[in-house]
Amino acid sequence: MKGRVASSVLALAAGLGFATAALADGEFAGVTIEAKLIGGQQYEALYARIADWEKATGAKVNIISQKNHFELDKEYKADIAAGTTNWCVGSNHSSFAPQYPALFTDLTALIPAESIAGFVPANITAATIDGKLTMLPRAQFDVSALYYQKSLYTDPAKAEAFKAKFGYDLAVPETWDQFRDQAMFFAAPPNMYGTQYAGKDEAINGRFYELVVANGGKMFNDDFTPAFNSPAGKEALQWFVDLYKAGAVPPGTTNYLWDDLGNGFASGTIALNLDWPGWSGFFNDPAASKVSGNVGVAPAPKGSAGVRTGWSGFHGFSVTEGCATKEAAASLVDFLTNEDSQKLESAAGPLPSRTAVWEYVLEQAKGDAYKSEVLAAFQETAKTAFPVPPTPYWIEAGNLIFPELQAAILGDKTVDQALEDASAAVDDLMKENGVY
Amino acid sequence: MSTRKFPPWLLLLLPAFIIILAVVAIPLIFSLYSSFTPYHLTRPETLWKWTGSFNYIKAATDVNFWKAFGRTVLLLTVALNLEMLLGLGLALMVSKVTHGQRALRTAMMFPMMFSPILVGFQFKFIFNDNVGLVNNALQSLGLTDVAIPWLVDANLAMFAIIFAEVWTSTSVFAILILAGLFALPQDPLEAAKVDGCTPWQSFRFVTLPFLMPFIYIAMAIRSLDVARAYDIVQVMTNGGPARRTELLWTLIGRTGYVDARMGYANAMGYIAILMSIGFTVYFFLKLQSARRELGMGG
Amino acid sequence: MATASQHRIKKRVLKTAHFIGLFLAMALICVPGLWVVLNSFRPTIEIMAKPPVWIPQDLNLDHYRAMFGGAGEGGVPVLTYFRNSLIVSITSTVIALLVGMAGGYAFARYNFKAKGVLFVALMASRAVPGVALSLPLFIIFARTGIIDTHFGLILVYVAMNVPFTIWLIDGFFRQVPKELAEAAEIDGCTRWQAFWRVEFPVARAGIASAGIFAFLTSWNEYALASQLTRSTTSKTMPVGLLDFTSQFTLNWGGMCALAVLMIIPALVLTFLVQKHLIAGLTFGGVKG
Repeated sequence: MKGRVASSVLALAAGLGFATAALADGEFAGVTIEAKLIGGQQYEALYARIADWEKATGAKVNIISQKNHFELDKEYKADIAAGTTNWCVGSNHSSFAPQYPALFTDLTALIPAESIAGFVPANITAATIDGKLTMLPRAQFDVSALYYQKSLYTDPAKAEAFKAKFGYDLAVPETWDQFRDQAMFFAAPPNMYGTQYAGKDEAINGRFYELVVANGGKMFNDDFTPAFNSPAGKEALQWFVDLYKAGAVPPGTTNYLWDDLGNGFASGTIALNLDWPGWSGFFNDPAASKVSGNVGVAPAPKGSAGVRTGWSGFHGFSVTEGCATKEAAASLVDFLTNEDSQKLESAAGPLPSRTAVWEYVLEQAKGDAYKSEVLAAFQETAKTAFPVPPTPYWIEAGNLIFPELQAAILGDKTVDQALEDASAAVDDLMKENGVY
Repeated sequence: MSTRKFPPWLLLLLPAFIIILAVVAIPLIFSLYSSFTPYHLTRPETLWKWTGSFNYIKAATDVNFWKAFGRTVLLLTVALNLEMLLGLGLALMVSKVTHGQRALRTAMMFPMMFSPILVGFQFKFIFNDNVGLVNNALQSLGLTDVAIPWLVDANLAMFAIIFAEVWTSTSVFAILILAGLFALPQDPLEAAKVDGCTPWQSFRFVTLPFLMPFIYIAMAIRSLDVARAYDIVQVMTNGGPARRTELLWTLIGRTGYVDARMGYANAMGYIAILMSIGFTVYFFLKLQSARRELGMGG
Repeated sequence: MATASQHRIKKRVLKTAHFIGLFLAMALICVPGLWVVLNSFRPTIEIMAKPPVWIPQDLNLDHYRAMFGGAGEGGVPVLTYFRNSLIVSITSTVIALLVGMAGGYAFARYNFKAKGVLFVALMASRAVPGVALSLPLFIIFARTGIIDTHFGLILVYVAMNVPFTIWLIDGFFRQVPKELAEAAEIDGCTRWQAFWRVEFPVARAGIASAGIFAFLTSWNEYALASQLTRSTTSKTMPVGLLDFTSQFTLNWGGMCALAVLMIIPALVLTFLVQKHLIAGLTFGGVKG
């Protein structure tokens, strides 16, 4: 491990045209890196490794902020406003990153090219904003795949009833239309629901977005005029409305966030659940989940255009533009996202963002049927995954869109009306900000 | 001597004024200024662009803003009155207890120990439609066989929020009114009894007028603190779904921090501040007139 | 005779109604709170069970054990948060009381122009919603380097608590007849001595009640603390609750365990001083 650090330091030094001084351990002796790192149990195991980096380089890391994601986002914005951006390393997320184009520096020149080449290319593309590589992804890649209760598909009575009603065989859904049929079929409220979706805040927005894409549409045109008020958009929103109207989802679903989904599926009351990789361990843990041992995982279904849904995002680390010791900061970022770091982090369940670590994780999972199934499903989904549209106004636009989506789902507005209102509001926003 | 220049009262009040100046007044001036600019957090240069009353006009012509405004006033009115009535009832019942009152009083104040953010999470789980305590209880008791969407239905969602808010804050009313009951002079009550008043009459014409100042104090304190409900609402529904529970605070918080449009948020914030101050001043005037009626001076 | 027994029946009915009413009210008050306490001892699978598990099958200390465990095992630096909360709450309460005593004394003992307006302005400062303050405060604090320090948070909480403290204490000082203090001064005491010997003892109950309100406000405050603290050097317990959330998950059992640690000290303190609290509020604001 030390060797790896030394070699990356060497490469870094060579890349910058530094002389031999960089070869020795303790290259950054005396440097203190101030870091703002995402807090929370899932993310903190990795930080134990910081001590190793400190030992190897002689630098010190001072964690000056440790908050959850949304609080950290607020803090960055407040930092930009206050002009206090001379700390060095910060946790970042692909969905939030476009909001702060000037905060973080371009890592291309600071990180050895061979290190960057080790990442999954799609992730590097998504981390590149306006030609700047704003962050290096850690092993926290997120895309949603389909979790389901296996026993529902082995019951001959159910299979027969389903075929009689819908005219095709009951099997794990491959399209969102099949998914809708089956969700309605399995629903028996209040103790069993066909599915559920996160209907709150940016969550419903993201789900809508990926379904629009899967149906062959898009959220924005190339000039960022809204494009979701389209047949594909209407079809996507109608899907949510249908499930809600049919009572196939819990009636509170428009107020659900991710934690509600996880707990709901684990309670055994949900048949089909599109959810994140982070839950895979939880769902199959007898101490936490009633469906443990009965969980199947399949790639995300496809929309009417034959495209899989695949709204994805990942956590990473960035270096600020105001950092005085960018080389040392970049070395820390590189270290926290290198193969060993990703192996450590992905051992607990999250998906890696390095090609070699994907292979390693798949290899490790051999012999564990459930884990292999999980990884296969997510790997397949990840192949066609896509990040949020690259506009700094994605979050703001989302805050205008989601209440309208909810209004349509709850029946306050028609699908057409809701999308028209949302589209007009987003159009106003873009115009007010001079986007076009 | 500085005392010659400063009268003693000013000297004594100085620490209070300095602290409030630093923590409240200066930030407020900044907020006021920025409300006249298109200030966007991630683009600091926007702070120097003066747009006059643009943000205020935008807020004043936004239907969603006025809906949130109306809902906030509704929430305040309903919650404060409910808390007052329930607090009064609770205080009356507790004051009649002779044994174990100390423990009872502590239990009565139990919700005050709960941080509003915790209350938000707590009631989010209690009112969850699928695995929540309330629906589970109703279903187990056979009272209903459907999952009631407490946090989604237009009326029930406001009810759930008011319930959480009332749960946390009734204690404040109860404890203040209880204090009033303890201070209640016994002579007029005895006199009323002798005069043949029914218990209701003596409550209505003797006890209640005496309690009014306590009630207004509680109202004033609570009206100062209601913005704390922001934490509760933000966690429970965040103003959703479909803006059904949107309050001024959730709207402002989201606009200011998530959308980063601080200038616009501050303009809306100023309208909210005026409303809060209006409530507070109203209860103060009420308090003073109640004191005057009781001859307590003011 | 008939009226006497009627009277007795009526009395009994009233007594039963009183008991039932009180029981229901207390149940409504305590159940949501005790449910949190109970959840801190239950495994997640049981909390979220459907159909519900009404009689706890498995009570254990797992959430507590995890909370005190190391990073990566679900550990949260609880003790540090606890210490921060304690330092911030106690210091800010004490300072608010001192500042409030000075201010309350000024309002009670001196006459000056614009007294009424000043008083209401002071109260109104408390009515400003935190949302309107948090960003400017952040900018000022970040620029002056007191962000993420105990000092910064204490300053804010003092400002939050001073208006109410002044108000309550003002009422108490007014109760002490001016002549009493003057008599003490004639007896050779300085004004300062007269204050401590005559006026302070009377106001003690009021100070205690103002203190408990100030303490609970600081102890439970979240919105501003979440902006003005960043790391373990100053994060308080309400902010620490959010450590149990990540982007997709929320560990409700763990959160309950931390909540219990927050509630216990507040509850003990309230139990100890609630006698003064009642006495304090009785005379405080009303006679002002």
